[in-house]
Amino acid sequence: MELTRLDRNVRILNWAAAIAIFIDLAVIFFYAPTEKTMGNVQRIFYFHVGAAWVGAVAFFVALVAGIIYLRKPGRKWDTLAVASVEIGLVFLTMATVAGSVWGKPAWNAWWTWSPRLTLITIAWLTYAAYFMLRGAIEDAEKRGRFSAVYVIVAFVTIIMSYLSVRVLRDVHPVVVGDTAESAKGAAEGLQDFSGVDSMRMVISLNVSVVAFSILYAAWMANRIRLQHLMDETNSLKMRVAARLQGDHA
Amino acid sequence: MSKQLTEKKSIFSVLGRSPYAAAVWAIVWKDLQIERHTKQTLSVMIMFSLSTVVMFNFALETNLDAARNVATGLLWATILLAGTLGLNRSLAIEQENRTVDAILMAPVSRSAIYIGKVLSVTLFSIVLEVALVFIFIMFFNKPLWRPQVLLILVLGTIGYISAGVLITSMTIQTRTREVLLPVLLLPLSLPLILPAAMAVASYMFPQTPTWGEVQSPILLVIIYDLLMITTGVMSYHYVVES
Repeated sequence: MELTRLDRNVRILNWAAAIAIFIDLAVIFFYAPTEKTMGNVQRIFYFHVGAAWVGAVAFFVALVAGIIYLRKPGRKWDTLAVASVEIGLVFLTMATVAGSVWGKPAWNAWWTWSPRLTLITIAWLTYAAYFMLRGAIEDAEKRGRFSAVYVIVAFVTIIMSYLSVRVLRDVHPVVVGDTAESAKGAAEGLQDFSGVDSMRMVISLNVSVVAFSILYAAWMANRIRLQHLMDETNSLKMRVAARLQGDHA
Repeated sequence: MSKQLTEKKSIFSVLGRSPYAAAVWAIVWKDLQIERHTKQTLSVMIMFSLSTVVMFNFALETNLDAARNVATGLLWATILLAGTLGLNRSLAIEQENRTVDAILMAPVSRSAIYIGKVLSVTLFSIVLEVALVFIFIMFFNKPLWRPQVLLILVLGTIGYISAGVLITSMTIQTRTREVLLPVLLLPLSLPLILPAAMAVASYMFPQTPTWGEVQSPILLVIIYDLLMITTGVMSYHYVVES
């Protein structure tokens, strides 16, 4: 019953995500203007920001799911948190790879150990360790409880990343900031926003963020469905095992 | 024995007007007493740190110039690694002797137990850090004795141990126990160590930096401390209840 409704939602979201990403790619390559100093390389930026945005949202969703789980334990909140951390990790990896590809022409290096990049690596490790913790606990109730606490603690690293990049000197362009900082970024030749082109860049960026958010929703639905199937398989296995034991007795 | 008890009472009357503070203090006092009798935690932490420092020197091929430049990073790395030992020891003792059940049975707030544990492990770590500062001054000839440096070390330790007690309380209840702690705790504590190491590094020059120069990393350390202590106090009872 639950699964058939979920199946329908998954199908709808899969299609929506495919269309959204298709539109996004079209916008990135044909609508967005070519940036003055960086050229075509700058188009990576839309992909990079979209993925990074979803990464942050996914970890926030996991945090909220963790808090609700502690207040009112329920399997679905645990499933939501796992799904969100897993997908957030994938998007974080995508953002890092895209950023690295952009960094090669922009900074002449795939990677620098600037505070922001270091903190992203740390966030990645923190959330990857979440699965180590889960793997080490057999009892489902305890696993849910500990993972919920961990996912709340882990979010501190995300908060610290955002704070650190605001106050420590960094080569990474400021994205979440006021206009003065964006202007400073533009003056450094990282993002040249001006007139109509600037408008088109902002629209492209927003399309990207929306498209990636839909992709996130679709992946979440798929992952949650997968978890339901896994739970169902497990309970069936248990029943078969119990039946076989009954036959032997 | 009776003398000890009266001693304990007198401290209670000074610090423990409120039952909450009394509970916190009882935990700290208990851990200090255990350490006084066994001397296990601190000796392990200090011996481990010494080996680590020697190992780092070996890795740097006894190139003192190179070692000096990375001394502050090495100092923090040593504190982190020794800290995981102290945390494991301090919380595993409770698990081994089943004292954790007795403590949990006491009609006190779970957060008082948490704060008490954080305080006692932090105290051990501070003793270790004082020893380490002397070792580093001797080996690397760096002006680490400045009071500001010690203050940053203490601030960093509070945040690290607050996260550590919470995480260790979970990991000792898992299948992989001690092995899991560094995997979880080291990444979690790096957003704290990054600014803390930056702040300590800016004190490594002959002239003292102005407050403006070190303000942002130190504030970041304090924010981390506050966030971690709050998270720990709020969620500790979910970790210890069974």
